[in-house]
Amino acid sequence: MFTITDSHIDFILCDLRAKGIRIDDLQNNLLDHICILAEENLEDGDDFEMFYRSNIPRFYRQQLYEIEEETLFLLKRRKCFALLSRLQFFLLLFVLLIGPIICWTIATLGGPGQKNDADAIIRACEGGFVFSLFPLVTLLVLFLTPERFDPLIPKGARILLGWRPLVEIVRP
Amino acid sequence: MTYSSELIKGTLKTIVLKLLADNKKMYGYEITQKVKELTQDRIQITEGALYPTLHALEADKLVTTQTEYIGRRVRKYYSLSAAGKTVSKEKVSELAAFMNTMALLLDLQLKTR
Repeated sequence: MFTITDSHIDFILCDLRAKGIRIDDLQNNLLDHICILAEENLEDGDDFEMFYRSNIPRFYRQQLYEIEEETLFLLKRRKCFALLSRLQFFLLLFVLLIGPIICWTIATLGGPGQKNDADAIIRACEGGFVFSLFPLVTLLVLFLTPERFDPLIPKGARILLGWRPLVEIVRP
Repeated sequence: MTYSSELIKGTLKTIVLKLLADNKKMYGYEITQKVKELTQDRIQITEGALYPTLHALEADKLVTTQTEYIGRRVRKYYSLSAAGKTVSKEKVSELAAFMNTMALLLDLQLKTR
């Protein structure tokens, strides 16, 4: 059976940290996991570093820090009260931006100067349309061209709504 | 045949909770091996999925942990808390009901032990 030495442990921990694993618990879990793999698959005298480099990629899809990101995401998700896709987030923004304007327009229906109900509705629609144009166009541009105008919320990102912070973008 | 990670992802929490319910305490590597053994290699839990799930379960207080030092290494054992036992039963029941519904939906015959 292969014997794990302190230098192997230092090597693994150093590599885990270099690859973005910062949570101590996660480092310890992965360290133990890798050590067991080595103990079960290597014989004394085998090349540990080669084994490590060939096995570590199976822990992730693109980068090792995905594990840390997924851990942090799951921990944050517990505290948030809504998890939105990018499209849902933009729809929410749109409703929040345009909603008060529409409500205000509706509230002013039937006020002085209105000839009849149809006239009031037409004026409300006109007002709502004009007021909604700016946020609507802005959001449309942001949504359709994320690479140029919207680096904060890339495609595939998830948005967590909570208290602290109120809005958090989780990149894909 | 191994199942896709998308299929497994939604059931990972249930799998881990059930394994911990059936075994007094387990550590990460042991969980992956147990799953491989029980499913005859058809389900392979990746480290990238397992450890975040274990951390989330710990934060939710569904599992309790014990650490054991092996030289400079720390081995973390996970076991179910009282709340975890309840949630484990709920999750298994929910998954069983879901599988039955899927069987109805897809017109499948489920093998029962």
